[in-house]
Amino acid sequence: MIEARNITKFFSVVNDDRTADGLTAVLSVSLQIPEGRFISLVGPTGCGKSTFLEILAGLQAPSEGEVWIDGRRVLEPLPSSRKEMEAYRRRYRFLSPIANSLLRDRPKHDIAMIFQDYAVFPWMTAIQNVRFTLKLRGTPRARRDELAKKYLAQVGLAGSETKYPAQLSGGMRQRLAIARALSVEPRIILMDEPFAAVDAQTRERLQEDLQELCTSTRQTVVLVTHDIDEAVYLSDEIIVFSPLPGTIRNLIPVNVPRPRRRGDPELTGIRERVLAIYRHDAEHLCDWSI
Amino acid sequence: MLNRHWKKYGATPGMSGLRELSFFLKTAFGGLVTIEFASVLVPLLALWELAPRQGWVPDTLVPPLSRVAMTMWDMFVNHGLWGHIAISLVRFALGMFFALFTALPIGVLMGWNLFLRKHALPLFQLLAPVPPPAWVPITIIVLGVGLPMQTYLIFLGAFYPILFNTYQGVKETDPRYLASARVFGASEWTLIRSVYIWHALGPIIMGIKIGIALGLVMLIIAEMHGGRSGLGYMLLESKEFFQMDRMVVCMVILGAIGWFLIEVMKYVEAKLALWRVGR
Repeated sequence: MIEARNITKFFSVVNDDRTADGLTAVLSVSLQIPEGRFISLVGPTGCGKSTFLEILAGLQAPSEGEVWIDGRRVLEPLPSSRKEMEAYRRRYRFLSPIANSLLRDRPKHDIAMIFQDYAVFPWMTAIQNVRFTLKLRGTPRARRDELAKKYLAQVGLAGSETKYPAQLSGGMRQRLAIARALSVEPRIILMDEPFAAVDAQTRERLQEDLQELCTSTRQTVVLVTHDIDEAVYLSDEIIVFSPLPGTIRNLIPVNVPRPRRRGDPELTGIRERVLAIYRHDAEHLCDWSI
Repeated sequence: MLNRHWKKYGATPGMSGLRELSFFLKTAFGGLVTIEFASVLVPLLALWELAPRQGWVPDTLVPPLSRVAMTMWDMFVNHGLWGHIAISLVRFALGMFFALFTALPIGVLMGWNLFLRKHALPLFQLLAPVPPPAWVPITIIVLGVGLPMQTYLIFLGAFYPILFNTYQGVKETDPRYLASARVFGASEWTLIRSVYIWHALGPIIMGIKIGIALGLVMLIIAEMHGGRSGLGYMLLESKEFFQMDRMVVCMVILGAIGWFLIEVMKYVEAKLALWRVGR
């Protein structure tokens, strides 16, 4: 169970004329994602959905609000007084509040994340990349090789184990990132536009693979995308974000049994609903900025 | 599979020593032994030989190539040039050793952690602009003339380039890679070992190359200011006796040492940063 309570994220920005300004990326988002659900966050680009996902992963601290996963808080609260600030500084002098450990690899939560631009390590071969994450999760050395091979084969990278990411195509690199995330068998997978940079055919194949995986292993998945078809095809529930500041505009359940077929009239109907929301917002443009 | 991939770049992990050597020689001399470069080098060498012989320049000031070659042979055989080269290399190696083993960890720590950076960096930024040769007098007074002083001066020359390049490289590590390791629970130590250092490999090796160049400068300055041996001492001694050919021999040898060390670094880079080749 992922629980986001009143998440707000401000950024301070400097304008071109050197005046300071505030930007609200995410405004007061509350969300409960039960175990085993596939949730998609859709919305136009720059509406704070990626920021929200990073807050869920604990990679950014929210300005206000808190995220809880299975009854444990993801990041400790930011200091609100001078005294707290001093304690916080002392505590994290040599640490990043995100990593939160100096010597021992120890994930705080059972999360895996797939990034938009892959973020697989270019200095490691495909199999070393997967082995590295397995090592971080404390898999015994003897099992790492076998597991890494298994998951690379699962995403169709058998035979490319010893290639460096630079030698792989964009789609293969993305599949490597997926293999890396799946190999640790996480209970929660966060995906930040995972298929944005691959060609249409590869994208469809990866989506089908993903659907298959999610039906077989009931993991909680949060997918950020601006591809409505992808969201409709894959998810149990679509959350439409409105841009600047990012807030939840609509919750649209997709109650279509799996396995789904592309071009199912029910799916097309839901797609039309999401598009109608987009159109409505574009016509009745309202200025939310503070 | 692995072998085929490595072979594409001319290197395999289990390569025999001989093939490893031939790979190194090929990368090192490959750029020298080409027709294009020969068409530049050969006329230059011919000009060096002809100009003093024909009296275009006074041959007391510019010794012709053949005389330099004869002198070099003579010095190697009769005057123990080997010993001078060896002692110079020992000093250089000591200085570089201390520079590497202090600058690399300090640079990594400063790049990694803001707290440490704020405390340590200003100090180095204040000290670094002092030109290393300016340290010579005070070093001679404090450490006397001898190996400690020479080692310290070479260390000074090599320390700052290595330090600042390492620090810059580590500091500019792509946050995406850090984030992707942190999500999976990487500790800071793992991040340093498996992410920061690898991402900063290019700048680190660049720093070591600059360090080698500056270390050689300081080696010559240190040997000129004290000691009875080494290439720098030999240069100065030849000057006293107006032996142009011997000076040129020393310069040629110093150039060769510097070039060789840079080639070694290029080789190390090609070995470690194989993944960058594909880009």
